[in-house]
Order: sequence, then C-alpha cells, then structure tokens
Amino acid sequence: MNSKNKTENSPRGYHDIGGEAAGAIPRAELPWLHWEKQTEAIRNLLGDGTRRIVSLDEMRRGFESFGAEKYKVLSFYRRRLDAMIDVLIEKQVITREELNEAISEKRAVWSKAATREAL
Amino acid sequence: MSMAAHYRRFRPGDGVKVKHLGKSGHVRIPFYVRGKRGKIVNFCGSYLNPEDLAIGNTAGPAIDLYRVKFAQRDLWPDEEIPEHDHLVIEIYDHWLSSAESSEGRH
Amino acid sequence: MPSSDHIENHSHENHEALVVEDDAGNLEGQIIIDALQDVLVAHGLLTAPEVLKEIEKLESPGIHLGAKIVARAWSDPDYKAKLLENGKQAIGYIGITVGEAQIIVVENTPKKHNLITCTLCSCYPRSILGQPPSWYISKAYRARAVREPRKVLEEFGTVLPHDMELVVHDSNADMRYLVLPESPKNLADMNEVEMESLVTRDRLIGVTR
Repeated sequence: MNSKNKTENSPRGYHDIGGEAAGAIPRAELPWLHWEKQTEAIRNLLGDGTRRIVSLDEMRRGFESFGAEKYKVLSFYRRRLDAMIDVLIEKQVITREELNEAISEKRAVWSKAATREAL
Repeated sequence: MSMAAHYRRFRPGDGVKVKHLGKSGHVRIPFYVRGKRGKIVNFCGSYLNPEDLAIGNTAGPAIDLYRVKFAQRDLWPDEEIPEHDHLVIEIYDHWLSSAESSEGRH
Repeated sequence: MPSSDHIENHSHENHEALVVEDDAGNLEGQIIIDALQDVLVAHGLLTAPEVLKEIEKLESPGIHLGAKIVARAWSDPDYKAKLLENGKQAIGYIGITVGEAQIIVVENTPKKHNLITCTLCSCYPRSILGQPPSWYISKAYRARAVREPRKVLEEFGTVLPHDMELVVHDSNADMRYLVLPESPKNLADMNEVEMESLVTRDRLIGVTR
C-alpha cells in the first residue's frame, strides 16, 4: 500500500506540537476562574447523553481548525469557548447574530455596573 | 448475518509501524510517531473513531485501540537519550501495520 | 487581550509558553459565556440550575482522591494488583466514580519512572484529580515532555539516575493516566491518612518522584 519513501502528505496541525522547540515551563499556578468552569460545564452538558450537541471531539476539531493565529494568542479556556461557539454556529444550533446581540446586552449590563461603582 | 468472534490484529509484543495515512482533519496520532516502529504493549478496548466523532458521525464502527511503546532514541535521533528510555502512546488499529511483514516497508 | 506577563521566553520560539488572560480578557470571557448561556437557555437546551450543578460536579474531584487511591494501593498489595489490572474498576471499588473510558495506573519502581503528558491538548484524569495545573496545559510542557523529558524533570527539581528507565506516556486517545509513586520506606509505621499526605499532584503526574 505504501509507495517507496512515502512521507506524510497532509499538513501538520498547528496543535500537534509534540517534539517542537519551546522555552522554560511556566510554573505560575493560575486560579481556575468562574467563566472557565462555566465554559467547561456548558460543554459537558451540551455533550451529554441527553443532548449530544457538541462532543469533545467536535470541540477539538473546532480549535484545531479556527486558525493558527487564534490558537497562538488565545488562552486555553478561551480556545475551548470559541471552538464550542464555532461548532454551535456550524451546526445551526445558534446564529452568530443572536449571540452577538446577547453579548452586546451583557456588555451594556457590565458597563452600567462599572459606572455605578465608579460613582 | 453471523456474529464472528472479534479478530484482534495484534498481541502484546508484536512489532508494528505507524502508517502515514495522509489524513487531514481531526486525528489523534501526532506527527512525531508517524512512520515509526514500536511494539504493542496492550489492547485498550474498542472505541468510536475520533476522526468520525469530530464531524458528528456517531454511527461508525468501534476501532481497536492499542498502547504502543517506542524507544525514545528512535523517535528523536538527534537527541542524546539513554537507550532504555521509552514513550508509550495510544494508536488506533487502522493507523498500524505489522512491522513483521512486508506491509509498510519502504 | 491576553498578556505575556507569565512568559519567560519572548524569543523567536513558535509557541508562547502559556497564554494568560489579563483582567480585560477574563471579563470578555465572562461576558461571552454568560451571553452564550442565555442564548442556549432561550433555545431550551440548558437551564441555569443545571449549569451550576455541573460546575459543582467539576469542582468536587481533586488530588485528595488520587491520594486515597495511592494510599490504598500502598497498604494493600491485592488492591494494587487490581488497580494495575483495571484502573477504572479498582478506583470504583473505593467509591470514586471515573468519568473517562479507562484509567491506566503506571507504577514507579527503583528502576523505572513514569511521566504523563498530552501533547495534542490537555487530557488528564479530571474526574479523579480535577483540573490540571497551568503548566501541564502549557505549550512548553506539551512540546518538550515527549522529546526532552529528563530536562523537563530537572526544571521540576527531579534528577533521574542515568540507568533508570524513563517512560513518557502521551495521553492522546481514550485512556487517562495516574502515576503510582513508590511507597515510602517506613510504610509499616504509617496509617492511611499519613500515607495520603505524602501523595502530591506532581507525583501523580510524574514530574516528581
């Protein structure tokens, strides 16, 4: 089946970093924040036996395909959040528009609260 | 349709080689083991293929999963590594060919 | 926006060692997940109480469960054999429910040391140990643990004798891993609580002995 000297002819995923050069391992112990737990919780629920809307595998495909630049600059939980959103939109479970609208509403609430605090 | 006993291709200790499947999309076999030779450590069970699950296909067959052991020296020939250091990783059946046969030889 | 505050190496390396959100980034994360939750609730796919309950479930496992498993294996050779044979089942026997497909327990010996990583993402036995430490999910660890594990261990203060076998396990598919550290020399003098206190997260991952 393999031709002589056959090598890998599909591109290497940007997430497939085993063996690549990297610097010192960052040792800061970061706290696990509420929004991160919430992201994980929602993904778990969406992937559970009653829903099967976003599986772990689909989410992984999400962050493996949203682009190398995003993968490079986003934090771990932000990658998972964005990937989950991409899959939900791709599968037409939600639309980008309705999410953006909900985000604007949340931002307005936050900035009102911030303004009140500042007064 | 007869329910034949499940035929498992490999046993612990068998020599295997990781295929270059040239698959794009979501796969769980890292680049650093592709084309490398190792030995079967154990059979892990049969699981749905993540390559299918990643695109929402949950109706595919379960695939045999094996743990395969590699000599670190074989994986990283440019590094200075003791000959007794190893790496063990899980490889799905369709990514493996027997290293004992002519299949997979380049 | 994510910041580079915690990154020690700003050179031409491909990978930021670890991307850390600053306050603005965390606020953004909170806004987006709250918005997403609202949309999903509006679609009837989730309820807020369910999400809170699931968060509680995520928060409950931790190193104390790993310690319980190890202490039991140290004090009971029969249990240890069962644990090495079928991790998920044996862990279930002591009342811990494992969510993952299977747990492979790898034993450290005077001649062998085990180290766990997931190069492709961050696979970890979360249903037992909770969330992995930031360094485990860092690109630096994922990239280097398979290729230069002895150097990585040295960064954690662990120097292995040259003639000791080092086995790295890349947790890439359905299995999840726990290292069973070597039992203490004065095991006979200890009770299980004392044994449990010796079991740390870093020993269960394998960056320390």
